[in-house]
Parts: sequence; structure tokens; C-alpha cells
Amino acid sequence: MVRTFTRRSAMAGAGVLATAALVLSACGSDDSNDGDAGGGDSAAQGFDPNEEVTLNFTWWGNDDRAERYNQLIEAFNEEYPNITINGTFTDFPAYWEKRQTEAAGGGLPDVWQFSDSYLRQYGESDLLLDLGPYDEHIDFSAFDDGLLQTGQLEGTQYSLPTGYSAWAVFQNDDLLTELGVEPYEGGTDHATYVDWMADVTDAGDGSVYGGSDYTQRIQGLEIILRQQGKNLYTEDGQLGFTEDELRDYWNSTADVRDGVTVPQSQLEEIMPISGFGGNLTASEMSWSNFIGGYLADSGASSITIAAPPTENPDAKDLYRQAGLQMAISKSTEHPEAAALFLDFVVNSEQAGEIFGTTLGFPASSTKLAGATLEGPDAQVADYLDSVADRIGDAPPVPVDGYGSLEQTFWDLGKAIGLGAISVDDAVRDFFDEASVVLG
Amino acid sequence: MSDLAATATDTRPAADTPPRAPRRPRRKHVTTAVWIVCLVVFTAVVLYPLVWMGFASFKPNHEFGSNSGLLPDDATIDNYVKVLEGVAGIPLSRFFLNSLILAVGSVIGIVISASMAAYAFARIAFRGRGLFFTVMIATLLLPFHVLIIPQYMIYRNLGLVDTFVPLLAGKFLATEAFFVFLMVQFIRNLPRDLDEAARIDGCGHPRIYVMITLPLIKPALITSSIFAFIWSWNDFLGPLLYLNSPEKYPLPLALRIFNDQTSVSDYGATIAVSVLALLPVLLFFMIFQRFLVEGVATQGLKG
Repeated sequence: MVRTFTRRSAMAGAGVLATAALVLSACGSDDSNDGDAGGGDSAAQGFDPNEEVTLNFTWWGNDDRAERYNQLIEAFNEEYPNITINGTFTDFPAYWEKRQTEAAGGGLPDVWQFSDSYLRQYGESDLLLDLGPYDEHIDFSAFDDGLLQTGQLEGTQYSLPTGYSAWAVFQNDDLLTELGVEPYEGGTDHATYVDWMADVTDAGDGSVYGGSDYTQRIQGLEIILRQQGKNLYTEDGQLGFTEDELRDYWNSTADVRDGVTVPQSQLEEIMPISGFGGNLTASEMSWSNFIGGYLADSGASSITIAAPPTENPDAKDLYRQAGLQMAISKSTEHPEAAALFLDFVVNSEQAGEIFGTTLGFPASSTKLAGATLEGPDAQVADYLDSVADRIGDAPPVPVDGYGSLEQTFWDLGKAIGLGAISVDDAVRDFFDEASVVLG
Repeated sequence: MSDLAATATDTRPAADTPPRAPRRPRRKHVTTAVWIVCLVVFTAVVLYPLVWMGFASFKPNHEFGSNSGLLPDDATIDNYVKVLEGVAGIPLSRFFLNSLILAVGSVIGIVISASMAAYAFARIAFRGRGLFFTVMIATLLLPFHVLIIPQYMIYRNLGLVDTFVPLLAGKFLATEAFFVFLMVQFIRNLPRDLDEAARIDGCGHPRIYVMITLPLIKPALITSSIFAFIWSWNDFLGPLLYLNSPEKYPLPLALRIFNDQTSVSDYGATIAVSVLALLPVLLFFMIFQRFLVEGVATQGLKG
């Protein structure tokens, strides 16, 4: 209560911690710079592939992922018995709290699972190793340029994606069969999708709805912007849309919220499970790699993936979101060994075999070659194939604080759904928040 | 004057109303019954989440979205089976053991160090006592988050990260000002005559501390032990920052592995492991509860 490190105080302190971490890491990185400039060069020349080395490796994820990583480390040790990997893991929010402290206090792990939304923060603070010089140990050619760019900051390759996903419409086949409604075909205009949702809601008669209000998610706006050749944020880290565009977007589903999509109050009851996971809605839009989670949450026997609605089918409005990456700390004492291990995680056929698509659809062609795509994995592969024409360049590296803006957007969307806030007020709140976050 | 007014107002209605005496016991019964009903209802409301958790631990994972009611539609013990297998080859008992080592270590450390520090502050007139006491109280006002990074750096430079030392060292060095303060106040209320009598009999400070003070502050020691145990058992951020190897994780860290929002969350397993994690604290509290109340009550009298 007074002096313990409770979880609540941990969360409350995360903000303070983040600021402190950045301030302190700025001081700390000078030392590590000096150390590495000398150490890195000499090590590159004097790298002994048989030297006994221990690397710290960490990731976030559940028990299933932990078992897979343990298998991968075993497979790696068959090839490199001299490199010992100490694997550790926590859940996602705790993971970043711990990294913030380590960034400030020293002691970042050698190799770690990374997220593109933190690329600016850690890349600009000079905490990540530039992977470029280690091309002897890391095979960059297995990635196409678009995917390589997801780990680049101003031309420097700080991380490599383990996999990617694309925005999609998920449908619960069991519910649709039960209600006797044909699945949504995908890729139509928004009006057709809304009509389809209305049909499901009518057939569901109050117990099942066609979908949830898709304007709650910032990705829906992103697709509309990309159809006009814009992005959520610009290269120089500013918002890529105006208040009017956001107002129109949220107003576009005003009628849909009234009786077609699932009432927000019902969704609040089953948090943190989504309406789709809780079998309240027959469809939901999300990233294609959510299929596993959706199958587990809903208990559905099968789920269909369709392309998101669009007003302009020729536009390159979708993109490969490569959120899950691998990075090496600049402070590592064994950059070559770390690079070898990173290469094994992102590129090896064994990684493909062990992980399948659980770290996203394999981004590296060699890892993909090792993966057996069955069931839901094959569905994701087919889906990605089917929307290949709509996939364009990845957006610029997310702005610092993008994660919190995305969450604010979602929270405001939910508040609109609950009738707790008007669209005009929500637009104002979002831009107020954005001006604070983006500075 | 007030007596006069009271009698004046009392006498007047007494003349009109019939005597109340025979009704009184029944009204008391009714009041008691209403009270009990109210209390039971309130207790039920307060306990509902706990009861819900107990029942929910038997729900299969996919039922968590569709069935928010109390009883599982399709009860199963799979959640417990899965949880007992542990995480990534580490059995659940390992996490329990780690939690227990940390909790018991904290209790021992705090009981010894805080009581010694408290004895010094309360009974020894050393130079700067007032200043040091103020400084110690001031550390209570310091937000923990200010200390995280410097503390982490110290332990890292000492090579003590990924051991239990950072989590226990502070407890053995009386850095928990709350407990020191609690005991200081307790000792201050003990009659000094006892100390002086012991001194006449030839006791120095160590002996007075062991023979006189410690037995007399038992209620404060028990209160502190209970809080120290529960706080350590529930501590999340400390182990998160200082422990790296999964086989050293205590329960609060292990618990969250089952619930990963970025891939597949196993809500059933999360709830099942939460129930298991709750049991020791519940047991500890039930056993020591009467001492806790006793301790608080005695403190209330003395303070």
C-alpha cells in the first residue's frame, strides 16, 4: 500500500519512468558509444566463431511462445554449441517497463524481440545496434525492400521483422451458418458491407450482430487516407489528416451505430475479449495474425478472412504491418554472435518450422520456406495472396507515442459508441492529445 | 443547563405517549435483523468477484466472452491441469517456492531490522536523532519511481541483478520506513521504567532490546509481518526489474504469462493460477488475522 511495488503503481509510474529513462539514457549512451566504437571494430576483425559466448535474449508472449523459443534455442545450439542463450520472457506491458529501466540503468539484453512502434524511441536514443555492418552474419537478401524498411530509421537498419500481417475482415462461419446468412465477399464499398452487417443483425434478432463499429479503430481511417495517397502521419512525424477528415470519418457510421453494429455497452461487459471473440458479432476487422486468438476466444470451428471494404479497389490502401521485429542492443559485448542468433530467429527454416505464423506471417523467404502452412496459417497465406494487388508501401516509421495515440483513438471511438461524448468533442479531444504527444 | 432542558423536553411527551418499555426488546430484534441482512447483502456484493473467480476457473477458455454469469456452462478442470504443468518446462511449484522465499525473507528481514532501528530511534539518545528520524519519515514521501533507476544501477554495478538480493537487501537494512515508524511509535508508548529497571540489573542496550522491548512489541511485529508478507507476495515491479531468469520468477510474473494480449490469451489458465496464487495469502491471513486485529487494537489504545 505505502511502499510496495504494486502493479497499479507500476502502471502509474510507467509515464514517469519513460521520461526519466529517456533523459538518463541520453547521458548513458555516451559511454556505451565510446566503448563500442573501439570494441566493435576490433571484435569484427578478431571474431572467433568457436569462442564460448553467453547471450541474453528476451521476448514478450505467452507460455506457448516460450515453449517455441526454447525449441528454437535448442535448434540453434545444435549449430552453434558454443553460444549459450539465456532466454527470458514477460508479458507485453511489463516487457517495456523493464526495457525502459534497463535502457536508463544499463543492462539491456543482447538480442530482444522488438516492436516497430518503439523504433523511433530506441533508435534515436542510440540504444540499438546498426545491423548493416553485420551482413556477413545476417542474410538481408531474404527480405524484400518493403519489409526491410519496416526496421529502418533514416536509412539505418536497426531491426528485422519476424513476420507481418495485413488488415482484414474476420467472419465467424458457425454463426453465419446458424443464421443462414452468406459470408461477406470482401473488397466491396463500405455501404455494401454495412448492408451485409444489417442483414446479419436482423437475422440475429438481438443475440448476434453483424459487426462492431469499424470507425473505432484508427486503421479504418488509415485505409481511407491511403486510398487518397495519404498516411496517418507524415515523414516528419506529424498527423496526416485534418479535424474535418476525422469528423467525417466518425460521422460516417452514425446511422450504423444505431441498430446495426453491436451496442458498445455489451462490448464493455466482455472486455478484454472483443465482440467477435465473444460470439456477439459475426464479423470484425483486425490484423490477419489475430486469427489464432479469435479461434481460441470464440471457440468457432472455422473463421473466414475477407478483404476490408474500399471505395477504390485499385488503390494500394493495405500494407504489410511488420510490428514484431528483432533487434540487438548497441551495448552488446558480442555483436557477431548476437547477429548470428538474430539471423537464426528471423531467417532460419527451423524458425519457420517451429513458429509457423505465430510471430506474424514469415517475412523472410527462407523462414517461409521452412514453415508448413496448414489450417488457419494457410488461410492467412491465401488471404495475403488475394489482396497482393492492394498492398502498397509501408507507412513511415510510427511517430514516437503512436501507441498511445492509437489507444486514445480507440477509447474515443468507444466513448462515441456509448453516447458519452459527441463526435465534435471527440475530434477536439483527439487533436488536443495529439498536440501534446507529438509536441 | 443542558440537564434542565433535557428533563423539560422529556417530561412533556412522556405524559401523552403510552409507556414504551415492553416494546423495546422486539424493536431491538428487528433492528438487529435488518442490520444482519444489510451486512450479508453488502458482504455478498463485496465477495462476488472472488466467488466469480472461483467458479470462472472451471470455465473453458472460449466461454469467457460468451458467458459472463457465475456458473460455467461446461465445467472443466483443464485450466488447473494446464497451469500445474507450468510454463516452458518450469513447474508451477517453482514459482510458488520463489514467492515463498521472497515473502518469508521479507518478513524475517523486516522484523529484525525495523525493530532494531525503531529501538534506536525510540530509546537511544544519539546525536542527530531528530534529524535522522525526519529524514527517514521523508523517505516515505519519496515516490518509489524516482528510485527505480538509481537503485537498478547500483545493483547492476554490484552484479546482483537476477538474484534475490536486490529484493531482500532493503528489507534487512530497515529501509521500509513505514514499519520502522510503526514500531517507533509502539516502543515510545512502553513505560521507560521497565528499561530502567533492567539497566539497574545490569542490562545494556542489546539485552534490553532482546529481553524487554521485543516481547512487548509483539503486536507490532505481527502486524508488520502480515503486511510484509502480503506486500511481498503481491509485489510485481520489483521482481520484474531485478529478475531475468524465468526459473527465478515469483507468482505475479508467472501469472501474466498466461494472458498475452498480443497473441493468444488463456483466460481460463489466468484465472486458475490466480486462484492458486490467492490461497497462501488467504491462509496466512486467516491464521494471523486475530493477531492483526489484536495488534491494531493495542496500537489504537496506546497511540
